[in-house]
Amino acid sequence: MGSEALLYGYTAVCVSMLIFNLLYYFSLNRRDRRMGRVSKRLQTQVDRQLARLRWGGAVERRHLLYLERKLSRVANLTAFERMMTQRREADGEAASELLEYERQIQPVILHLAVVYRRKEDIQAAYFAWFLARHQTNRHMELDGVQDILVDYMNQDSLYCRVNAFQALCRMGSPRRVADAVTVLDRNGKFFHSKLLTDSLLSFTGGKRALAALLLERFDSFSTQTRLSILNYIRFHSGDYRGWVLPLMNDPEEDKELRLSAIRYFGRYVYPPAKPALLAFAADRDPLRWEYAAVSVSALAIYDGTDVTEALTGAVCSSNWYVRSNAAVSLTARGLDGGLSAAAEGGDQYAREMMRYQLQLRQARKEGAAV
Amino acid sequence: MIRELIQTFLSAVGVFYVLYMMGYASFLFLSVTVGSATLYGSKRRNHLKNELEGGHYVPVTIVVPAHNESVTIESSVRSLAMLDYQSYEIVVVDDGSSDDTSQILVDAFQMVRVDRPIWRRLRCQPAEAVYETWNSRVPITLIRKRNGGKADALNMGINASRYPYFLCMDADSVLQRDSLEKIVRPVLEDDRVVAVGGSVRPCNGAEIRDGAVVNYRMPRKLLPCMQVLEYDRSFLAARILFDQFNGSIIISGAFGLFKKSAVIDAGGYDATTVGEDMELVMRLHVFCREHSIPYRVRYATDAICWTQAPEKLGDLCKQRRRWHIGLYQSMTRHRNILFDLKYGMVGFISCLYFLLYELFSPYIEVFGVLVTALSWAVDFLNVPFMLLYMGVYVLYSSILSLTAFFARIHTVDLKLSLGDVCKAIGLCVVEVSCLRFILAWVRVTALGRGRGKKAVWGQIERKRINFDQGS
Repeated sequence: MGSEALLYGYTAVCVSMLIFNLLYYFSLNRRDRRMGRVSKRLQTQVDRQLARLRWGGAVERRHLLYLERKLSRVANLTAFERMMTQRREADGEAASELLEYERQIQPVILHLAVVYRRKEDIQAAYFAWFLARHQTNRHMELDGVQDILVDYMNQDSLYCRVNAFQALCRMGSPRRVADAVTVLDRNGKFFHSKLLTDSLLSFTGGKRALAALLLERFDSFSTQTRLSILNYIRFHSGDYRGWVLPLMNDPEEDKELRLSAIRYFGRYVYPPAKPALLAFAADRDPLRWEYAAVSVSALAIYDGTDVTEALTGAVCSSNWYVRSNAAVSLTARGLDGGLSAAAEGGDQYAREMMRYQLQLRQARKEGAAV
Repeated sequence: MIRELIQTFLSAVGVFYVLYMMGYASFLFLSVTVGSATLYGSKRRNHLKNELEGGHYVPVTIVVPAHNESVTIESSVRSLAMLDYQSYEIVVVDDGSSDDTSQILVDAFQMVRVDRPIWRRLRCQPAEAVYETWNSRVPITLIRKRNGGKADALNMGINASRYPYFLCMDADSVLQRDSLEKIVRPVLEDDRVVAVGGSVRPCNGAEIRDGAVVNYRMPRKLLPCMQVLEYDRSFLAARILFDQFNGSIIISGAFGLFKKSAVIDAGGYDATTVGEDMELVMRLHVFCREHSIPYRVRYATDAICWTQAPEKLGDLCKQRRRWHIGLYQSMTRHRNILFDLKYGMVGFISCLYFLLYELFSPYIEVFGVLVTALSWAVDFLNVPFMLLYMGVYVLYSSILSLTAFFARIHTVDLKLSLGDVCKAIGLCVVEVSCLRFILAWVRVTALGRGRGKKAVWGQIERKRINFDQGS
C-alpha cells in the first residue's frame, strides 16, 4: 500500500505539472491579447489629448487621473511605453506635441515614481528604464522624480540601480548624478566599474560641472568608484592633467588608480609627466611590470630621443607585455631607425616582437592603399 | 533456504531502488520546477527590461579548436564574425588536421601568414604557422599546430588570446547572434564570476538566419529528436538548480565563458583527460576554494549555442562513451571534493548527484534490469505492480521532460506546429523507456573500453550546418 501511495503521489505531481504548463501557456496568450487591447485604449486617450494640445489647449485633469490609475500597473505601463515609442517613430513633425504632452504629464510621473518605489525591484527597474527612455529632455526635469531616482540607488536589484542611474544621467542634473554616485559608493552594492564610467559618459548635462562635483568628492569615494571617475575623466577631457599628475606620482596611491592615471597621459600629452613615464618604463622590477607595460604604451605619443631609447630598451624587457607594448609604441611612432635597430638587435624575443609589429604595419598600409 | 536468501536479497535491492528512485524523482522534480521558474522569471525580467546592455564592457576572445572540420569550419567562423557584440576576436586553432581545414579558412578570409610570437603560458604543442586577417569586421587568427588533442588546442587558443575573457566552443556549433552579449552578463552583474556556461541546443531541424532562429521544427530523424528532449531536461536539471548555490561543476565544452587569468592560474585545460571541460570547472572550484578566492560559476540560460546532435546511433554511442569516460576521469581526479566541508554544497550536492545519478546510474539501471529478470525467473515478480511502476516511471519522466521542453519553447517565443508537439510527446516516452536503457548499456561498457584513454578528438560525422547568413 505504501509504495502504491508513493506511485499515486508521483502521478498527482505529473498531473499538476501538466495543468501548470497548460495554464501558463494560456496565460501567456491572454497577456499578449490584453496588452494589445490596453495599447489601443491608451492610444485613443492620448490621441484626444494631443488634439487638444494642437489647438492650444492643455491635457485634461481627468486624463492625468486616468493615467495615474492605469499606469500604476506595470502591464499597463509597458503597453503605454510601447504605444509612446510607436507614436514617436510615426509622428515625425508632430513630435513637438508629444514632447509637450510628456511635459504636461509630469505630475503623473512623480506619482508613479512614488508608487513604483514601493513595488518589487523588477517593476521599479522597469519604471526607471521607462524614465530613461521617455523623460530625457532636460526642461522636463522634476526635482521630486530625481530625488526618488537617487533613492533607487539603494535598491537590491542591480538592474534597478543601473536603469535609475542611466535615467539620471539622461536627465542631466550634475548634482543629482554626483549624489547618486555618492549613494552607490556608500551602500557598497556592486556596480560594475565600466558600467559606471559608461553611464557617466552618457551624461547629457554640463560635463564640466559634473566632473567638478565628482572631483570635489573624489577623496571620500572608495577605490573602485574613484577608478570609474578617473576613467570617465580620461575619456571626457584632457583638462585635468595638473590634477591627475600628483595621483600618478603618489606611491601610496592604489595601483589601479595610478595605472589609470598613466593611461590618461597616454591619451593627452603632458610634458611634466614625461620624466615619470620614462622612469616607469625603465623600471625592471618584475613586481612592477604593470607600470612599465602601461607607461611604454603611453609614451607612444611623446616625442624625443629619450623616449625612443626607453622604448628600444623596453622591447628587450624580460616581461612579455612590456616587450609587446613597447614594440607597438615603437611601430606607432614610425621611427624607422629605432625600429630596425630593435628588429635587428641581438635579443631574439625583441626581434620576433618587432618583426611581427612591422608585418602588421605593412599589412595596414597595404590595406589602406587598397 | 536459497529461496529465502534470494527473497532477502530482493527485498534489500527493492529498498535500495525505492530510495534511489525517490531521491532521483525528488531531485528531478525540484530541478525542473526551479528550472522552469527560473526560465519564466528570466523571461519576465527581460520583458521588463531588467537586463544589462553592454557589447563592449567585457572584451572576449572566442577560441575555436578544430580538427578535420573542413565541412563546417567556414560557416561556423562566418557566423561568429556576425555576432551582436563590439569587442571580440576569433582564434581558430587547427590541431593538426589531416584535411584542408586551415586552407579553407585562409582562402575564405584572405588570411596572411605572420610571425606572431605567442607567449605559451599554458603548456601546449608548438604552433607551426599563424595566420591573421585584417579584412574582417572582427580580427580572426588561425593557428596551425601539431596535434595534441582538444584540450591542448584550447590551451594554445588561450595563450594566443588578447582579451581577459575567453569563450570556448566547438567548430561544428553556431552561436545565436545575441549569445555573446548574454553570456557576459553574469560578469557585469558580479565581478567574482570566473566561468559562465551557456545553453547548448541541438540545431538539427532549426533554420538559422543571420544568427537567429527563423523557423524551428523538431528534427526529422527520431534520434536527434529524442536528444532535443534529453538536452532540455538535463540542462534544466543539472545546470539551473546547481547555479542557485554556485554548485555547477560542468560547463559544456561547446559553449563556456572563462576568466583567462583564473584559468591560467589554475593550470589551464588538462590535456590528459577526455572530459577537459568538466575537469577544468572542477579544478576552478578547487583552486579558488584552496586559495580563498571569492568566485562564482554561473549559468546563462538565455545564451544559446546551436550544435549538431549525432544522427546515427553509432555516433551517439561514441559521444556518450566519451562523456562517461570524461565524467569518470574528472570525478576520480577530484574525488577529494566529495563530502569535504571546505567545498560546501559542491561536495555535498553537486558531486554526490554526479556520482550517484550520472556516474553510477548506468550500472544501477542495468543491475535493476538483471534483478528484474532474476525475480521473474524465481517467480517473485509481481508483474501487475511492475507494470504500474514502469508506467508511472515513464509518465513521470516524460512529463518532466516535456515540462522542460515546453518551458524552453515558451520562454524563447518559438512556435511549434501541432505535428511537432505530438512528435515531442510521443518521442519523450520512447526516449525515457528505450533510448535511456540503450545509452545506459553504452555507458556501462564505456569504462571497460577506455578508462585510461588519452585526449584524442572524437570522430563524429559532420554535416553542413543549415544556416543562411542572409544579406
